[in-house]
Amino acid sequence: MIRIEHVTRRFGRYAAVNEACLELTPGDSVALWGANGAGKTTLIRCLLGLLRFKGNISINGLDVLRRGKQARMLVGYVPQELAFHDEMKVAEAVVFFARLKGIGHPDPAIALGNVGLSGHESKRVRELSGGMKQRLALAIALLGDPRILILDEVTASLDAVGRSEFVRLLERLSGEGRTMLFASHRPEEVGALARRVAEMSLGRITSIAPTRDFLARASTGCVLHLLMRDDARPIAIRELRAVGFDPRLNGEGILVGVHPDRKAAPFRILADASIAVDDFEILPAPTQATPGAPPATGDAGQPAAEVLP
Amino acid sequence: MKAVQALVLSLLQASLMAVTSASGAVPPDHARKTDDHAPPAASRAIQNTPGSGLISRLIREASEGDTIVVPSGLHREHLRIDKTIILDGGGRAIIDGGGSGDIVEITAPGVTLRGFTIRNTGIDLDAENAAVRAVAPRVVIEDNMFSDILFGIDLRESPDSVVRRNIIGGKSLDTARRGDGLRLWRCDRTVIEDNIIHDGRDAILWYSTGVVIRRNTGRDCRYGLHLMFSDDVVIDDNEFSGNSVGIYLMYSTGIEIRRNRLVRNRGPSGYGIGLKESDRFVISDNVIAANRAGLYIDGSPFTTRAPGVIRRNSIAFNDVGVMFLPSARGNELTENNFIDNIDQVRVAGRGSLEANRFWSGERGNFWTDYTGYDADHNGVGDFVHEPSTLFENLMDREPSMRLFLFSPAQQAIEFVGRAFPSICPEPKFSDEVPLMRPVAIETSAATRQASPGPLAAAAALLLAVGGGITAAARAGPSTCRRDQSAIGSSLGAIP
Amino acid sequence: MSVALTAHPRDLSIPAPPRAWRNILTIAGRELRDAVRSRWFILYTLAFAVLGLAVSFVSAAGTGGTGLSGFGRTTAGLINLVLLVVPLMALTAGASSIASERERGMLAYLFAQPVSRTEVLAGKYAGLAGALAACLMLGLGVCAAILAWKGVAARPASVLWLAALSLLLALGMLSLGMLLSVLSRRASVALGAAVFVWLALVLVSDLALMAGVVALRLRIEELFALSLMNPLQVFKMWSLHAVDATLDVLGPAGLYAADEHGPRLHLIFGVCLFAWVVIPLAAAAVLLARRSPV
Repeated sequence: MIRIEHVTRRFGRYAAVNEACLELTPGDSVALWGANGAGKTTLIRCLLGLLRFKGNISINGLDVLRRGKQARMLVGYVPQELAFHDEMKVAEAVVFFARLKGIGHPDPAIALGNVGLSGHESKRVRELSGGMKQRLALAIALLGDPRILILDEVTASLDAVGRSEFVRLLERLSGEGRTMLFASHRPEEVGALARRVAEMSLGRITSIAPTRDFLARASTGCVLHLLMRDDARPIAIRELRAVGFDPRLNGEGILVGVHPDRKAAPFRILADASIAVDDFEILPAPTQATPGAPPATGDAGQPAAEVLP
Repeated sequence: MKAVQALVLSLLQASLMAVTSASGAVPPDHARKTDDHAPPAASRAIQNTPGSGLISRLIREASEGDTIVVPSGLHREHLRIDKTIILDGGGRAIIDGGGSGDIVEITAPGVTLRGFTIRNTGIDLDAENAAVRAVAPRVVIEDNMFSDILFGIDLRESPDSVVRRNIIGGKSLDTARRGDGLRLWRCDRTVIEDNIIHDGRDAILWYSTGVVIRRNTGRDCRYGLHLMFSDDVVIDDNEFSGNSVGIYLMYSTGIEIRRNRLVRNRGPSGYGIGLKESDRFVISDNVIAANRAGLYIDGSPFTTRAPGVIRRNSIAFNDVGVMFLPSARGNELTENNFIDNIDQVRVAGRGSLEANRFWSGERGNFWTDYTGYDADHNGVGDFVHEPSTLFENLMDREPSMRLFLFSPAQQAIEFVGRAFPSICPEPKFSDEVPLMRPVAIETSAATRQASPGPLAAAAALLLAVGGGITAAARAGPSTCRRDQSAIGSSLGAIP
Repeated sequence: MSVALTAHPRDLSIPAPPRAWRNILTIAGRELRDAVRSRWFILYTLAFAVLGLAVSFVSAAGTGGTGLSGFGRTTAGLINLVLLVVPLMALTAGASSIASERERGMLAYLFAQPVSRTEVLAGKYAGLAGALAACLMLGLGVCAAILAWKGVAARPASVLWLAALSLLLALGMLSLGMLLSVLSRRASVALGAAVFVWLALVLVSDLALMAGVVALRLRIEELFALSLMNPLQVFKMWSLHAVDATLDVLGPAGLYAADEHGPRLHLIFGVCLFAWVVIPLAAAAVLLARRSPV
């Protein structure tokens, strides 16, 4: 369905995406995981034909650069934050994008109802809350019932409540056989939505693993999300690794799986290394029993874990 | 053979009847009735050799003082009128010159030529082929229609003549190959009135004194009216439009030009009224509009006996309102309306206007570019009108600068000139008592007010297009409207 | 649950995307609606109409009491007004179109839909052109209405010519503005560039040519050729040519143009103005296809 082959995108001398390869079969659902700047968004932009790149990306056999318009017919895209004319009414926005997708007589009421936005048709886009905007973006992405959904950190700008509602909505939708590729750095989203996780670091896809394996590695009981200064993060990772933790970069912080009874251990180690932790969050460790998340090994054709050098 | 004979006989009979009835005391109505009985074939039978046609024969057989009513229809012939007679075409007789030579020659004094359509002269400029040429005094040429002619009416030494209510249209030739619609040579005291002259070269007077020219229309000619060495001429209530030059006076004295309309005379020189070395002239109550130069004054007045009087004219929308050559001195311009001429007053070259006056006593002129005000409400501006713009000065020095007329750059330069008066040129002239309101001009020539209908229609069209786009855009496309109504209903369903 | 918006069963192969003109129409419609509702449109329309009104009233007042009326001064005033306002309007409208959307991420979102970039550009151009047309027609329509009401003898053909040529000028300047917009990374830069270009076209180039006339003794044919490079000059000359049918008002260079090119002048002016519509827009399309929308 989606085939990404040796894709490299440079900004000047810096390779934002470097030799990335990834293939999604129909119905597959892959999370792109990695720190900010790892190349997730750039890879998605390449996939949408927004950026030029070296290598090949095809969607259903259509080259996204040469036949981008055709290829994008198959794709519903939800950005991190909906950027659209604020003065437009919600229904107008839906109609506008429906037409671009070739739907002659769209009914915005139904489209909006699907994402729980009924009754907001005549509001202006700017009057919507962040969560409602993302729902609108999702409604637009779902117009024309695309076979592929591409989501770029869609919950990043939402608060905790908005986030969980939105994930529940996505969970509902993911059961319908769509192919999904999404960038995320929230384990609960990955657990809920992804079959596989492609980990990105410095523009490379470093590993592709079934979600279960990935989460097993990521957490042993619960996950600490530690926020600190950027330049402190590599040292923190080194220090934690040295004592047996498996930390990984994530967004503005690092994620460390900890035993539920020893949640303070990383703080002590970091304090010894004179690293100041600005803030932290305790995330529940996702389990494989999460409804909606299919067993990662369900796909016969997929190797259970594929760690790239 | 017999048929021809019969034809000629019946012709003779008809014409004889016409002559007798006309020269007798029979009312003209009756005469015309007789004309109607002339067989239409008659005119076709007339040969195109001078003197051999029907009218020529009628003239030959007429006696002095007769009135000949010529049968209607087409007469292909060339005439010489050598008797003092009245030749009346009744408005329906056509004399066709067949495209060669002159058509009518008048050699006897006191001849009246009336009611003909005269057409198709030769085109020989050297021979000056004319529709009517008179070489005797006191001829009256009236109510004729001239078309497709080289020269129209050519009066040579025909003083005390009258040219009245003729329509004279030239051949469609290049101006250089056209002849004069009307030419007077030594025709003192002649009256020229109510004629329409179009598409000719000039209407021109040579050495003719005391001529009266009134209520004529001249359009699309070279010179609407041209005076050469002609004195004491009155030019009233005429209209000259679309000519190269409206009225041009050369070496003429004692001219009154009143209540004429001179509009859109825009040929290579393009003057409404041009004055060259003329004297004792009064130009008043004229409307002079949209010419290249409204008035063009060269060496006039020629002597200092009397000032050139230019009074109560509306000089509007010309490229140059009044153009002075440096030689022009002694003109007095008062109570004129200078309305939106691109250059209101201009001196060709870089001469001065010191020797001309733009005000007299309490009355100056009305200037649309006057920037002062009238605090005491006496109708006269409180400040002297001393126009001087930097850009005009630049244009005077560098004519190609005119290319930048109407551009914001022009305004920028004028703004700079106003902001720094020190770099502004000296004003060319001053009007110490500029009028605040335009002077009402009585022109008898009909002012044609354009009907506002078409313009209003254009306005409506523009407004409809603009408003239509706006309204359609605000409402949104039709499908969208339908969808919104659908939303409306679904919204209605939601409590 | 299922999504009911399916226009096609999902087993079928790839749906064909809408044709180019459909997308252009959709985008143009949205752009037009947006523009017509925006503050700049209302402001510009009002400003243009009010200034036009002033010009019309002043020129109508000048004829008072003489029984005379003329379109000459009105034409000059309107041409002057169009020269000042319309390029500014069109340049800024074009300049802010692409750059501001890129800055706010809207462009990337739009390009992520099944549309081509050329369609987006063409749609935006068409929409803004429609808005400018509405603005111009309303403004000039008001002027014409005033002139008709005041009995100024303007030929309706002159007014329509002026409207058409103003629109063409606006299209050219819009095209140039969009090129600036595609070139600029930020909306503020694009707007600044637009104002700079406006100033250059309105004032600087004319003043430079004037200096050329004085300092370099440019020949009139050179002067005429150089003035054809400035779309504003072309508009002015064409308007005068169309409305008054004489260019001799413009002195030796105008006479030269009329004598040398005569009936071809319409063609020459038309080609010059159309070049300003087509070339910047084509360049903008090429650049937009190459540049990243984010």
